[in-house]
Amino acid sequence: MGEEEDKQTILETLQKKKGKSKFYLKDFYKMLPDMKARAVKNLVNKMVGEGTLEYWSSGSTTLIGLKGVGKQAHTEED
Amino acid sequence: MVEFKHKTPMIDELETGPWTSFVTDIKREHESRMENPKGIDFQTPQKCCDDLLGVLELSYKHGRTHWKHGGIVGVFGYGGGVIGRYCDQPEMFPAVAHFHTLRINQPMGHFYDTKFLESLMELWERRGSGLTNMHGSTGDIIFIGCTTVQLEEIFYEMTHNLNQDLGGSGSNLRTPSDCMGESMCEFACYDTQEICYQLTMEYQDELHRPAFPYKFKFKFDGCPNCCVASIARSDISFIGTWRDDIRIDQEAVKAYVGGEIKPNAGAHASRDWGAFDIQKEVIGLCPTQCMSWDGNKLEINTPECTRCMHCINVMPRALRHGLDTGASLLFGAKAPILDGAQMATLGVPFIKIESPYDEIKEKVIEPIWDWWMEEGKNRERLGELIKRQGMQKLLEVTGFKAIPQMIQEPRSNPYVFWREDEVPGGFKRDINEFRKYHQR
Amino acid sequence: MAFISSGYDPAKPMKDRITDIGPRYYEEFYPPIIKKNKGKWLYHEILEPGIIERVAESGDKLYVIRVGGCRLMSISHIREIMEIADKYCDGYVRWTTRNNVEFMVPDSKDKAMALKDDLLSRKQPGGCYKFPIGGTGASISNIVHTQGWIHCHTPATDASGTVKATLDVLFDQWENMKLPAKLRVSMACCLNMCGAVHCSDIAILGYHRKPPMIDAEYIDKMCEIPLAVAACPTGAIKPAKYELPDGTKVNSVSVNEPRCMFCGNCYTMCPSMPLADTEGDGIVLMAGGKISNRIDAPKFSKVVVAFIPNEQPRWPTMTTTIKRMVDTYSADANKYERLGQWAERIGWEKFFEKCELEFTHHLIDDFRDPAYYTWRQTSNFKFT
Repeated sequence: MGEEEDKQTILETLQKKKGKSKFYLKDFYKMLPDMKARAVKNLVNKMVGEGTLEYWSSGSTTLIGLKGVGKQAHTEED
Repeated sequence: MVEFKHKTPMIDELETGPWTSFVTDIKREHESRMENPKGIDFQTPQKCCDDLLGVLELSYKHGRTHWKHGGIVGVFGYGGGVIGRYCDQPEMFPAVAHFHTLRINQPMGHFYDTKFLESLMELWERRGSGLTNMHGSTGDIIFIGCTTVQLEEIFYEMTHNLNQDLGGSGSNLRTPSDCMGESMCEFACYDTQEICYQLTMEYQDELHRPAFPYKFKFKFDGCPNCCVASIARSDISFIGTWRDDIRIDQEAVKAYVGGEIKPNAGAHASRDWGAFDIQKEVIGLCPTQCMSWDGNKLEINTPECTRCMHCINVMPRALRHGLDTGASLLFGAKAPILDGAQMATLGVPFIKIESPYDEIKEKVIEPIWDWWMEEGKNRERLGELIKRQGMQKLLEVTGFKAIPQMIQEPRSNPYVFWREDEVPGGFKRDINEFRKYHQR
Repeated sequence: MAFISSGYDPAKPMKDRITDIGPRYYEEFYPPIIKKNKGKWLYHEILEPGIIERVAESGDKLYVIRVGGCRLMSISHIREIMEIADKYCDGYVRWTTRNNVEFMVPDSKDKAMALKDDLLSRKQPGGCYKFPIGGTGASISNIVHTQGWIHCHTPATDASGTVKATLDVLFDQWENMKLPAKLRVSMACCLNMCGAVHCSDIAILGYHRKPPMIDAEYIDKMCEIPLAVAACPTGAIKPAKYELPDGTKVNSVSVNEPRCMFCGNCYTMCPSMPLADTEGDGIVLMAGGKISNRIDAPKFSKVVVAFIPNEQPRWPTMTTTIKRMVDTYSADANKYERLGQWAERIGWEKFFEKCELEFTHHLIDDFRDPAYYTWRQTSNFKFT
């Protein structure tokens, strides 16, 4: 599979999830089971850099989700 | 006279006594911002220090915090370096309604010149609250308190004008930190600052973008005194050590015995402990009893020595660590949350610490990360993975041979899960062959 | 206040973006004497509390004056440090791993002594030292700590305040070297311990004792319930339906209260689950840890007082208890013996007796596997 298809897989999987908008990096491994963990990590971080995904940090742990999605997104805007 | 909006009788009680008062210090910053002799156009509300004191007073009154966490704020493309904070009484304290923290990667050894410090101060006075932590627990410079829009502005100025980057937070490599090491300390067995810097630079991607199931820390202690506490709080703890003889200056030993030099570098000078007694204070306290003193010559039986530093600490002018130096690598320390605290476990008894550190990167760090990224559960630290999958797995990953130095004692149960390839002939056997000699 | 752009364009965040450049190279900030003698230091001697002479193989001497710093530090205070560094130290200064500031004076002991007088003469309006000198050798060095009520969302107490109150009480041990060995005090304002205090001679730990409240009417609007459920390290939170007084059913959560360890991780994810409480929150004291490998292995601190209420602004019960432990240890331990080594030598039962600390069932470990190894499996003990 090409990178664009992999990105599409991630986006579609995230859009299907109901009630939860933020995920651990490991959850992304499951979306692309044939890829090495490190490659998935790099792709996810690339998508953040491209503005389709965003991080959410508890300070100690980082979660990742679709940009601007989630119940806290609006409360944290200025 | 600069005015304070909030009455703060409770925290004002912390403005007396000998120790420096942080309350007085915050008030000082408020006064400085209000007087503003340089005419700065403050980008975070000018009265934020006053409101911060008000929030703190309210917490002293209630016995409860008034802060909430925010997880989205950050700088674009980085998963770490910013911690979001919102006040839960924004109408009462509007100047600190949004009051986020930035972690700035500290220079190794926490050395500064005033020119660089002033460039940081100037930036933080103009764009932030003017309050810092020097330094946070992990080692970063912490800038406490700015509005959301200022995060990118500060990052932009810092990277463009100060050639300076943020530190780590979240499921990232955390900002590595070190002791003062060879810069000032004669006990250091390797250059803690150089390896700390080089690994920080090598792993910038892991430091800024989440790569792992949870946080990951390197810390570099130059000797077994462990001033940076690597053994208690880092996933890979580097502790300086040596393999050859402790260097002894016999004349200096005699000077200690004769009372000419104060023991332990003068560390006990405020109390009369009586005359220095080398037999009792050094030979008798040596945990391995590998030392002897005949009144004229100090001898150390090197193969018995475990390099605990006690004798060197007591007589630094007479004893120096050996010349064949390197580090012991210990793995998996963490604070108690969740499954209880773990001290780091010795996995590499000795390794040379020499630039460009290829063996450490390729045989230790990267294989361990690959293993942990594949096998670690969410929010599972390396130490917990080692516990769950076994120390044997750590050795399998790093390729270091099991040696008795790695353990305190051998197992007291015989339940070895032998692997098939370790048993001659393997596990597959012919039951019919067996039955030729054994009835059903 | 007019917004002034740095040059950053929010519409094009990647334009001219500089990333991954790391910290500045440390060597830029070494004083010349350190650049010259790095790795070639011969020995050091503490001339008096807080003042260290470092001698290099070259014969060069460096005088280091250690002053206490509040970890929370204003830039006005830092600028005063810079002014001092410019005057006495050729513009160089460093911080230690315990939030102390070290002024490094090359060559001249006289200059160092003049610096000492200058530092001690600088006081805050309330009489506190701006730059208390000490923290070397067999003393109590600065208390490392976390944010507390000043800036954290899950603290069970204040950090800067408990530390100020404790250091005022222990000040004599900061500016003198009278203890049997160094004594390290650390403070963390909740059990997550973002300041790793778990290997300190004495640890001050903020602790919550009540499970979170649930803002049932709002939780489904403000939080993602699966995330609050997943945040709980003990699996105590489950999704649940809740009926409001008007009969509407809303999605909420339930907390299995006996399983709650009061970590606040749910509140981090979900502001509708606050757990701070005036009576519930307070202080745990731990003792006997160390990180050095000197003489014996590093040790964890043990819980010796399960709970002390928050008594802001000065926490008198806490500071009195800490002082009693320090004084008892100081009078009873052997030279070079750390607090934990002393407690192990005399036995923990004697530690409680000598320090006049009440032993309660809370102090017996019952958390997961390691608990068993802390119980006594021998008939050897001391009567107290």
